[in-house]
Amino acid sequence: MSALAGFRFQLRELPHRPDHLLALVTAPLMTLVFLAITRHAGRADLAGHAVLAPALIALWQMALLVAGELVAAERENGSLEALVATPSSFAAVIIGRVAAVTLVSLLGFVEAWLAAWAVFGVVVTVAHPVVFAATVLVSALAMAGTAGLMSAVFVLTRSARTFQNSLSYPFYVLGGVIVPVSLLPDWLAAPSRAVFLSWSSDLLRDAVDASTVEGVLPRLGAIAGLGFLGLCAGLLALRRAVDRLRRTGTLGHA
Amino acid sequence: MPDTDPAIRVERLHRTFGGGRRRRETVALDHIDLTIPAGEVHGLLGPNGAGKTTLCKILSTVLLPTGGTATVDGHDVVRETAAVRRSVGIVFGGERGLYTRLTARANLEFWAALYGLRGRGLSQRVDALLERFGLTDRAHERVEGFSRGMKQRLHLARGLVGDPRVVLLDEPTTGMDPVAAHDFRDLVRELRAEGRTVLLTTHDMAEAEAVCDRVSLVDGGRILATERPATLGTWISRYASVEARDVPPSTVDELRALPGVRAVHHVPPDRIRVETGAEDAAPAVLRLLVDAGVGDVSTALPSLADVYLHVIGDRGMRVNK
Repeated sequence: MSALAGFRFQLRELPHRPDHLLALVTAPLMTLVFLAITRHAGRADLAGHAVLAPALIALWQMALLVAGELVAAERENGSLEALVATPSSFAAVIIGRVAAVTLVSLLGFVEAWLAAWAVFGVVVTVAHPVVFAATVLVSALAMAGTAGLMSAVFVLTRSARTFQNSLSYPFYVLGGVIVPVSLLPDWLAAPSRAVFLSWSSDLLRDAVDASTVEGVLPRLGAIAGLGFLGLCAGLLALRRAVDRLRRTGTLGHA
Repeated sequence: MPDTDPAIRVERLHRTFGGGRRRRETVALDHIDLTIPAGEVHGLLGPNGAGKTTLCKILSTVLLPTGGTATVDGHDVVRETAAVRRSVGIVFGGERGLYTRLTARANLEFWAALYGLRGRGLSQRVDALLERFGLTDRAHERVEGFSRGMKQRLHLARGLVGDPRVVLLDEPTTGMDPVAAHDFRDLVRELRAEGRTVLLTTHDMAEAEAVCDRVSLVDGGRILATERPATLGTWISRYASVEARDVPPSTVDELRALPGVRAVHHVPPDRIRVETGAEDAAPAVLRLLVDAGVGDVSTALPSLADVYLHVIGDRGMRVNK
């Protein structure tokens, strides 16, 4: 129930925070850039890649910049102590809020598809809609778990902003968001497979493509497993973070 | 005062900050003992840095003590945090801590949900609190447009949203105008009438005197004395000072001779300040000045520092029940 309270609260607050929705503003613009590049190169077959990349970037950006900052923002707002003092599980409240941010970030998919159709008249068909929907769902859950971990880490980090900024592009690369991991040097393949996003982006691209998708369940399992690990680590880290702040007396420090 | 188990019991409670290789250790609470019976309104009176907020934070479980024990409603604040959190409502002073882009109602609904309220019960509690704190008409406005006093009222409503048996009010009148501060005193009396235990921290002796059953004077992380408010009233009147202008030298001599007058200071260019140290001394000084035809006279209540200096210094560390 604590998670549900957090989820509802975040859905209520997000429309009043345009700064938190910036990723959804840039997603359609990036779609146009990527599509223009693929079309200019004469690679209409890569249209699916061009619309998926901005959607995945929006998913990651909102997790990183909004969900990841939730605990630090509560602290800055002076409400963290009161939140911790309630009988609700603090970690559950934060995970609920992170889930709401992730849900809203999925609008990036809709925007990317609409931008491609509205500006270039490109309709990217999803050849395997069930696989696509399942991948989006499991990826969103994995993202929520990972963002919970980030929110705990950022509140304990003095230079959280620098840390956040440095986590954008490396993860776009390791997550195969723009360029499939298979096109990267071999030595990057192993670390990229530890990032759930690399499994998500590959599976989503395959779901858009007309050819048969192989190994759906193991690949979904990899996303879910890595996401679950992130969630467990996130819950543990949140608990540890709050305990540490209670011990050091810095829960209320802005 | 009801003869029941204490709502708050603090034994040898100790809290330090810092103390690493780079920072000097600061003692915020120095092995304090305090027992507050259920249903009592207890004031913690002391200057900034006295340890009042530290005690409130430990009792509300948001800060861990370095040593000693504290129980709220019979539950240990370190080992039984969930039970303590169900019993306690806390209001921190100041304007921060609200979600200013949301409405007052949305703020309260969120906090109510965190206290386990759902559906109709949640709506009824939120409605009742908005009504109680005079915010019903502004319930659907964003908090960012609220005055400081309204924000403070919303803080108070938030503190009561879980229907707590123990209410911790940490400088709740900070930023309130005199009318709101007066209403606040009524609220504390209502909380007492409802059987809740209230721990109120304040700088304001008059406020503590008006609403508290007992008051503890805190400084340097120690409880220096615990008294009934009537004693505070005695201190206030005993250590009042009187200022006057153009007082004839003969009258100054008479003032110096009055019983209970501790000192008469010249305040350049033409004023004197008479410091008293007995309960009836200030009225006697005023009478003498008026009889001498001195028209420009004013009185001033002692500062907390004066009370510490003159009263606590005299009394040592004794705690009165």
